[in-house]
Amino acid sequence: MDADLDLLQGTLDVLVLKALVWGQRHGYAVAGWIKQTSDQALTVEDRALYVSLHRLEDRGLVESEWGLSDNNRKAKYYRLTAKGRQHLRAQTARWTRYADAVFKVLRAT
Amino acid sequence: MTRTSDPKRLFRLLGSPAGVERDVDTELGFHLEARAEALIAAGAVPEAARAQALREFGDLGAARAELSAIDRHRLSRDRLREWWDSLGLDVRFALRAFARHPSFVVVALATLALGIGGNVAIFSVVNAVLLRPLPYRQPDRLVRVWPNGSVPPGIFAIVSKRTRDVRPIAGYLLQSQVSLTGLREPVRASAVGVTAEIFNVLGSRAQLGRALAAGDDEPGRDRVVVLSHALWRSQFGGDPGVVGRPVVVDGVGRTVVGVMPPDFLFPSPSVQLWVPVAIDPRIGASYWWGNWLQLVGRLAPGVDRVAAQAEVRSVLDGARSAFPMRMPDDWGRDADVIPLRDWIVGGSRTTLLLLLGAVGLVLLVACVNVANLSLARAAAREQEIGIRAALGAGRGRVVRQLLTESVVLAGAGAAVGLLLAVALLTLLVAFLPSDTPRLAEVGIDGRVLSATVGLALLTALIFGLAPALRAARLDVRAAVGSGTRLSGGTFVRRRLADMLVVAQLGLAVILVAGASVLIESFIRLRRVDLGFQTENVTAANVPVPSFESDSLRRAQAFYTAVLDRVQAIPGVSAAAAVGVLPFGDGIGAGPIDVEDSPTPSGAAFPLVEMTSITPDYFRVMGIPLVAGRGITEADRDSAGGVVVVDEVAARKMWPGESPLGKRIRYVWRKDWLTVVGVVGAIRRDSLNDAQRPSVYLPMLESMRVEHRIVARSSVGAQALAPALREAVASVDRNVPIGSIRSLETLVEGSAAHRRFATVLVGIFAAVALLLGAVGTYGVVAHAVTRRRREIGVRLALGARSADVLRMVLGDGLRLALGGALLGVIGAAALTRLAGSLLYGVSPTDPPIFAGVTALMLLVALAATLIPARRASRVDPTVAMRSE
Repeated sequence: MDADLDLLQGTLDVLVLKALVWGQRHGYAVAGWIKQTSDQALTVEDRALYVSLHRLEDRGLVESEWGLSDNNRKAKYYRLTAKGRQHLRAQTARWTRYADAVFKVLRAT
Repeated sequence: MTRTSDPKRLFRLLGSPAGVERDVDTELGFHLEARAEALIAAGAVPEAARAQALREFGDLGAARAELSAIDRHRLSRDRLREWWDSLGLDVRFALRAFARHPSFVVVALATLALGIGGNVAIFSVVNAVLLRPLPYRQPDRLVRVWPNGSVPPGIFAIVSKRTRDVRPIAGYLLQSQVSLTGLREPVRASAVGVTAEIFNVLGSRAQLGRALAAGDDEPGRDRVVVLSHALWRSQFGGDPGVVGRPVVVDGVGRTVVGVMPPDFLFPSPSVQLWVPVAIDPRIGASYWWGNWLQLVGRLAPGVDRVAAQAEVRSVLDGARSAFPMRMPDDWGRDADVIPLRDWIVGGSRTTLLLLLGAVGLVLLVACVNVANLSLARAAAREQEIGIRAALGAGRGRVVRQLLTESVVLAGAGAAVGLLLAVALLTLLVAFLPSDTPRLAEVGIDGRVLSATVGLALLTALIFGLAPALRAARLDVRAAVGSGTRLSGGTFVRRRLADMLVVAQLGLAVILVAGASVLIESFIRLRRVDLGFQTENVTAANVPVPSFESDSLRRAQAFYTAVLDRVQAIPGVSAAAAVGVLPFGDGIGAGPIDVEDSPTPSGAAFPLVEMTSITPDYFRVMGIPLVAGRGITEADRDSAGGVVVVDEVAARKMWPGESPLGKRIRYVWRKDWLTVVGVVGAIRRDSLNDAQRPSVYLPMLESMRVEHRIVARSSVGAQALAPALREAVASVDRNVPIGSIRSLETLVEGSAAHRRFATVLVGIFAAVALLLGAVGTYGVVAHAVTRRRREIGVRLALGARSADVLRMVLGDGLRLALGGALLGVIGAAALTRLAGSLLYGVSPTDPPIFAGVTALMLLVALAATLIPARRASRVDPTVAMRSE
């Protein structure tokens, strides 16, 4: 995996965690939420999204459960763990600081 | 938790590695379908919608593989964690279970600690003495050359030059006592004469200064000495500037060149200094006859022992003709090359392995005891285990739980045992014969610790397996349903318990039989006729004044003066000097010519013990005069060529004839010695060796200068010691007196290894017997409790209490008989391993075996008596109403 992808992965993880903040969702819903919320600005490759979800589960940041979707089909639902929620808080703060700093530099006259 | 959507829960993801791919497929399938449906809802054609969903997703195959790999990793990690968690649970559960039965735990723990502690202690000694490598460089390449023989310096010079397979090679003399003077006060020290190469052979360097090096044994350059660490500390105060200091060793001025490290103790732990043996052809006597060197060497690279031995034999064969006198033709033909370690460990091996075996049997008995206890406890727990099984605990789970309990118990036993071992070790080391090699190295090290852990696991397996496997076969419904104990299961368990007791009694019989043959050997040895009387004889190590050490006549004058003073001590009835004291000074054998039967040239000369004595020696020692006369005062000064022989020598040299008037001589002297008397034979340095032919000479005919003083007195060695010291000091203040001990102590010391082994095996046997009795009592008592109702019925139906007593005693007796039979068979096979420790008794001595069997039956009967009496007093009305 090259450096760009690494950065993307880290970013994607935060977005996925954020998508789960209001409760459990299956992968398809997570993808839809990211697309919708970013006004289509961020398009996430589906494969990368699932890798992210499974990785987060491996790290204990999310946990999964089988459930039935709205149209009664078997789907895998993901949910934040306490550890995941904490991680999200820390990452959000970091991202905000980072974005502020970059913004300041770019706006400098 | 707030939720955006609340799906109906299907089931918790349990997950198994095999199902990982299927789950990934289901998940991704849902995604693709959901996307396609969304596209269709937006107006797409179904086929096109599916194709687009697939396209948007990316490489599906790669995704599958990657996701599966992540999940598999997570699952295996979770499983491991779960395993650990449940282990912790098992351990906690085990501790709670133990807390409910403290008496069981105390008994089991004590038994195990005793068994494991004893084993760890003995193993620590075995480890230090037999297993740990010698503290020299590449110790496995070191060899002892010709352990049964030795060579004079003249031959050594040839051997070290010609031998290629053992190189370097060095020689050393027997350790001897020397006087150190030139210090604050004169002291006696244990010295070894060595050739200069010895430190090079062993690969050891000095801690301070230097060790001996090539050239130090050349004449004129040999006035040097190397100190042991202990001597440096005790006599030189650990002075770092000791190198270069002068010191006088037996009258010879030498310079200290180095101090060895504390662990360098070659050839024995008691060595205190090393002096070079001069390899000097000009001193003919010591070059060819005096200093007999023992050989030690290092195998040359790539050479094995067998090849080296062949070479050494051929070199010795070639060197034989270099002797100035004709040597026997087979001289040197028996030269072996053996690993140095085997030689150093020597006789301790049998003793230690015997003890290890015996203490191992004790542990087995202990294991069986705990197994039986666990089995009895398992009976009480059948309902509990049944409930656990009914609640979904699989067989494997139940077995694991029970094995965990065993391991926890054994682990605790091992921990207590280790503490016990540390305490026992101190005792053992103090109690071990002081000439045991490498005693200072005994301690708990990594190998001992890992052996302890191994032992704990092994014991857990041995005593835990039977109850665990029985629990696995438990009928769940019956156990939970009835709430009572099961007759069928009880029968199986009872048979198992019986078998365990039989095994236990059998093991105890083996140990008791082994201890008995050892004790019998010991008693017989004590009854061996020494040929002299040890009571009230004190032996003192009195060296000659060092400046006179070159002259026998001066030495005799010195000893005569000392003896005069000693005889004047109140309570002393007789005193004498002797060159080689039995049980004190080893061997003083020399080759002789017998006038009437000359040794054909090329054959070996007869070897006899040559003991130089002063006139009163036979009286002091209580050695009876059989014919002729002893050595008298008249022989003292004239050195008139007389000799007294003992009965063994007389029989050997002049069978059927009177030896009086016959003549013998040292092979290297011209003058004949005429036999003037015959005395009784004595044992020389070991109670169980054959008596060797001995001859007694006046001191002036001796080959050695230094003698011992022996005195017969009405007081013991302790009480006599101050007066003895005073007597010696009044003749010469500068003579350091060596040890003063009773002759009894010296004789006892020769049997120290045997006594050590006997006492320990005896203790082990007693412990095993006790455990066996406890085991028998436990099983019979348990059976009686269980059969109370049956016994009640019998009594109600008219059986008398005597019948019941007989019935229960019969049960116990059956077990004991089985155990005795098993034990006798085992003992017959095992006691012969004691081999060299036995004396005058067959390893399968029938009276001993019969006695042991009787003892076993008696002990078993005694253990059965209490429960049997309890059974006979059962009140039928109470018993039948119970349960």
